Amino acid sequence: MSDIINIAGMKKEYKMGKITVPALNGVDFIINKGEFVAIMGPSGSGKSTLMHIIGCLDSPTAGKYYLNSELVSEMKKGKLAMIRNKQIGFVFQTFNLLPHLNILKNVELPLMYAGLSKKKRTQTAKKVLDEVGLSDRLKHKPSELSGGQRQRVAIARAIVNDPTIILADEPTGNLDTSSGADILSIFSELNDKGNTIIMVTHDPAVANRATRVINIVDGLIKDGNIS
Amino acid sequence: MAISLKENLIIGFSDFWSRKIRSLITIIGIVLGTMSIIVVLALVKGINQQTMKWMLERGGLSKITVSRNWQYQNPENVKTYFTWKELQLIRSLIPEAKYFNPQQRHWVRQSYADKEYRTAIYGVLPDFSKIEEWDVEDGRFISDFDVEQSNDVIVIGTTVKEELFGNKNAIGEVITVEGRRLNVIGIMAFRYMKNSGAIGNENAFSYLNRQTFVPLSTMIHKGTGEDEISRFTLKAQDVKSAPALREKINNIVLNLRRGLPVFEVESAKEEAEKMAENQKMFSTIFYIISVISLLVGAIVIANIMLATIQERTREIGIRLTVGARRRDIFFQFLVQTILVTTIGGIIGVILGLSILDIVSNFLGIDLIASINMIFLALLVSSGIGFVSGIVPAIIASKLDPVEALRYE
Ligand SMILES: Nc1ncnc2c1ncn2[C@@H]1O[C@H](COP(=O)(O)OP(=O)(O)OP(=O)(O)O)[C@@H](O)[C@H]1O
Ligand SMILES: [Mg+2]
Repeated sequence: MSDIINIAGMKKEYKMGKITVPALNGVDFIINKGEFVAIMGPSGSGKSTLMHIIGCLDSPTAGKYYLNSELVSEMKKGKLAMIRNKQIGFVFQTFNLLPHLNILKNVELPLMYAGLSKKKRTQTAKKVLDEVGLSDRLKHKPSELSGGQRQRVAIARAIVNDPTIILADEPTGNLDTSSGADILSIFSELNDKGNTIIMVTHDPAVANRATRVINIVDGLIKDGNIS
Repeated sequence: MAISLKENLIIGFSDFWSRKIRSLITIIGIVLGTMSIIVVLALVKGINQQTMKWMLERGGLSKITVSRNWQYQNPENVKTYFTWKELQLIRSLIPEAKYFNPQQRHWVRQSYADKEYRTAIYGVLPDFSKIEEWDVEDGRFISDFDVEQSNDVIVIGTTVKEELFGNKNAIGEVITVEGRRLNVIGIMAFRYMKNSGAIGNENAFSYLNRQTFVPLSTMIHKGTGEDEISRFTLKAQDVKSAPALREKINNIVLNLRRGLPVFEVESAKEEAEKMAENQKMFSTIFYIISVISLLVGAIVIANIMLATIQERTREIGIRLTVGARRRDIFFQFLVQTILVTTIGGIIGVILGLSILDIVSNFLGIDLIASINMIFLALLVSSGIGFVSGIVPAIIASKLDPVEALRYE
């Protein structure tokens, strides 16, 4: 089977004291290997919530989530950490780099938690940073880089472990048009090389690059399960 | 795929380094705490050792001293001294005492040719030299025959010799003491205390070199004419039998004065034991004070760590995102706290040792921090890291990844 992600009847509610806030109200979809899926929808519709669950940072309140045929929605937290480390690369709107580490160390981080030797780590991280065009900035701190460069570091960190899926939650949201376009090209290239990508975006132009668009409104998929 | 201790130490070190000022402020309490442990313990030990050394050099632990008890006001007006006859009685009652030496002291002018020197003169018995373990370096000491005959002989200290004779020979010369002519028969060995608590250039034993000695009988019969001896020393067969002998003498002396505590009987061994006891108490008090102040330090560190963790919530979220497990986060912060306090402990030990070095030079006493003290100081400082780091580390490891990432 080529489906990498299989989500069925997924619900997510947030409890805030006595009030329950529904974020996802029963979502079903399948994503196949090699797809580039754009997730769109109005603010507050549940896109980030969905991404967090797909990225194993959060668990659904109800429903089933299979990643690579493994039932992730029922896994223990320790196992989820391992899935995050090995199968998932996450890129955020706000980059989320560690400010006191240089970019080489930032990219090495997932490899460290994977238990690789220092030598292997540095070697792999350098290679990936080279792929995103930052091999001349290895010792720089994130604060010494432009937004576009920081996002490239984040992409390098996301792909350094060679994950099953790459998740990006509005990766161009904090960037100007030209560096946003650069970042999108990198994602397109990664997709061309066979990587599966799921990206949240508000930009219809971005969505055009995707192989499929999933629209979410009020925690439900509107249409376009198959585009 | 847990990350190793080495990895955690590297993270800890680089965190420590990237927040140098904060880290240093964090450890000030630990630095001062461990420093004071080292300094105070070594100081207490050093001073006690010094006193012990002094005691050993002044006749050893089998020595017993009987002197006037100055705490006793003597309302009944009994005799506060012994007569020569009483002392002979006492001696006959304690045949087990190895040596016995009553003594009388006076301040006198001694002169030779045109030189004059004011100093202390002691009337003693030959046993004096045995009890104090101090002999002549030239000539001979006072003999039993000198005492029997009340001979006009004198033994002088090296300083007295230098003052009156310079480089010239003194043995066989005649010194005039308060109008009486005495034959110099011996010169005492030079006394010097190594590593003594020197005050200025004066050695702790310098005063001994200024003393002079005559037979007690000569002093009583031909000198002052006072048959009043307020002090005597003696030596037990060995250290073990000293306390029993002290007790016996105490009873004899009490009986001679109707049970009134006119005299004080001290045994060096018991003094030493008392001292050891004091040291124990003193150290215990300081342990307690150190523990309290270090506990306060621990609370401060726990607080700083909690603040640090709040500040680094986002970092924790990021680490969780890329695959850190809860236990990785837990150990990262625990190891880091222990590392910080241990570094504080090491700095404290180094500072403590330097201070000891300076104080030791200043006082002229050996002040040595034992390996045990250093080990204790380091153990305590890393223990504090553990105690104050564990709660913040648990809190850090319980953070929810999504919540942590959201943190501004
Ligand atoms: N931790 C939380 N606690 C309570 N409610 C939450 C929490 N996270 C999200 N929500 C709510 O869940 C709903 C979906 O939020 P989510 O962040 O997934 O929206 P989004 O589609 O990513 O919006 P945006 O486009 O603005 O990023 C919103 O109503 C939001 O208020
Ligand atoms: Mg969002």
